[in-house]
Amino acid sequence: MKLEEIRQKIDKIDRELLVLLQERMGLALRSRKFKRAVSDPTREEEVLSRIERLNLDLIERSFTRRLIRTIIEESKRLQEENRPLVAFQGEHGAYGEVASRRLIPNGAYIPCLEFIDVFRGVEENHFDLGVVPVENSLEGAVTQVNDLLTTTDLKVIGEAKVTVKHCLLSTEDTDHREIRLVYSHPQALAQCRGFLMRNKLEARPFYDTAGAAKMLARENPRAAAAIASELCAELYDLEIIKEGIEDGPANNTRFLLLSRQPYANGGEKTSVIFATPHEAGRLFAVLRLFAEANINLTRIASMPLRSDPENYCFFLDFEGSEQDEKIAGVLQQMEKLTISLKRLGSYPAASGIY
Amino acid sequence: MKSLKLAARAKARKTVVQIGDVGIGSNLAVIAGPCSVESEEQTIEPARAVKSAGADMLRGGAFKPRTSPYSFQGLGIGGLRILDKARQETGLPIVTEVIDPRDVSWVAEFADVLQIGTRNMQNFSLLKEVGRAGRPVLLKRGMYSTLEEWLNCAEYVLSEGNPNVILCERGIRTFETYTRNTLDLSAVPAIRELTHLPIIIDPTHSTGRPSLIEPMSLAAVAAGADGIIVEVHWRPEEALCDADQALTPAAFAGMMKRLRPLRTFMDQQPA
Repeated sequence: MKLEEIRQKIDKIDRELLVLLQERMGLALRSRKFKRAVSDPTREEEVLSRIERLNLDLIERSFTRRLIRTIIEESKRLQEENRPLVAFQGEHGAYGEVASRRLIPNGAYIPCLEFIDVFRGVEENHFDLGVVPVENSLEGAVTQVNDLLTTTDLKVIGEAKVTVKHCLLSTEDTDHREIRLVYSHPQALAQCRGFLMRNKLEARPFYDTAGAAKMLARENPRAAAAIASELCAELYDLEIIKEGIEDGPANNTRFLLLSRQPYANGGEKTSVIFATPHEAGRLFAVLRLFAEANINLTRIASMPLRSDPENYCFFLDFEGSEQDEKIAGVLQQMEKLTISLKRLGSYPAASGIY
Repeated sequence: MKSLKLAARAKARKTVVQIGDVGIGSNLAVIAGPCSVESEEQTIEPARAVKSAGADMLRGGAFKPRTSPYSFQGLGIGGLRILDKARQETGLPIVTEVIDPRDVSWVAEFADVLQIGTRNMQNFSLLKEVGRAGRPVLLKRGMYSTLEEWLNCAEYVLSEGNPNVILCERGIRTFETYTRNTLDLSAVPAIRELTHLPIIIDPTHSTGRPSLIEPMSLAAVAAGADGIIVEVHWRPEEALCDADQALTPAAFAGMMKRLRPLRTFMDQQPA
């Protein structure tokens, strides 16, 4: 091996160490929710002695102890900070994390495998807040999330619109002329099809956009690149070859911020889910309430009821707060016209598209 | 010149290459900017300066063909990203050189016009590739080439289905050493007689002397050129490439005050 190659490998290992350390810190923060106090000397001793049992010829036991001790001290410091734990679906760098960072700038962002893990985790107080996508300007409703909203007790306390700006990312030592394969989520690959064709690149589906970026950084496969967010380039130390490589007009995704407690200060927007009896004119009667009260609707969507496939429930977002007298009145009348009415809450409206 | 099935003057009206609001072949097109893209600061500041002085498009090299392999070779994709940013800041379309057939599709993702440099004029595989890239091509004249050889190279691009070729006279090698090359100004009216394609001149590389840039640009406009492509560097003495031959933004602004009025005057004269 040449010196240059050895150094490249060292750089790669450093990157991996940090990615793993980030994951460990996230877990340490999550463990705080289960512990009475930050410090737990018995557990610390257990961690240290278990690691010392490993017999590695190049790594002195005293060094291991010092290293792990430093890591433990840092995770205790992080736990003391009491940052809100914000859960999102996907790997670090997913568009859900982009939204989380906008909504809660000082949070600790915790990746979850599935949307249901975000919902259950917040419900069970393992996380403080959750961020989930409800709709995309090109693809429409995110049905899994909408379905979970119908059954959860969580409240919506905020929203954010995030522009989906796909970037072609590669590791630093990959020449653009060598790139043949591009890994990403099938939806992202489909949105960038023209770009891939023009540059004769082969699309390789991956479970997640950020997951593809993470894989690229950790494994550095030959002749490969990934399509993911700009944030991924930052988090995984990848080069942006080009940003905004999607074919169509920029699309954006609307995310909701979920909490166990409702938003305390009124808000400007309200979300509800309701179902009406299967009779002529019932939906119209509900919507008429809003028209007559001169309340502007910002979203209306229908979804089949899982519990009752012949019937539908409706998602309604509108301007104003539940605390406004006019809206409280409409909601009261709505109770009489519907078979179910779920108030997701009122919250500040997204001020722009990020 | 029977081989010029598409480039020859015979049938066609004069070609106008439309790039955004700029019509090369109808109005006087002024393309200005640094020789090579060296940093964001060194590119975006002059881009703003040339825009406010009245330039129509921004030039800047990310992939540089250099006489010596040890000279600065350009920032590559990083340079293209800087040009992209300069376009977003100023709205000026981007002209940039491509030197490797493997880079054509990538450069086309960023650039509005693909430039073929004098050394690559007869790089036929590169010409075919840019002919298929879906972007207008600025084809510089080879420093040892005849007009016929040059037009045959344009024919290569046209025959791939790309009708948008802009010719650029950039000086030829003669025995004169005071100037870097000799600007063949007669090429402008001669090209008019031979082809429908627009022709611009490069007063920077042809003279290699900032003091000659303005007189030769004015002469080119008087001779009927469709535009100029000129190097403007923020601090010419610090340039990593072709130092000392670029105009300062102030000198460029001064030249522009005379260039467009001259074109207007020429347009008003009866044919």
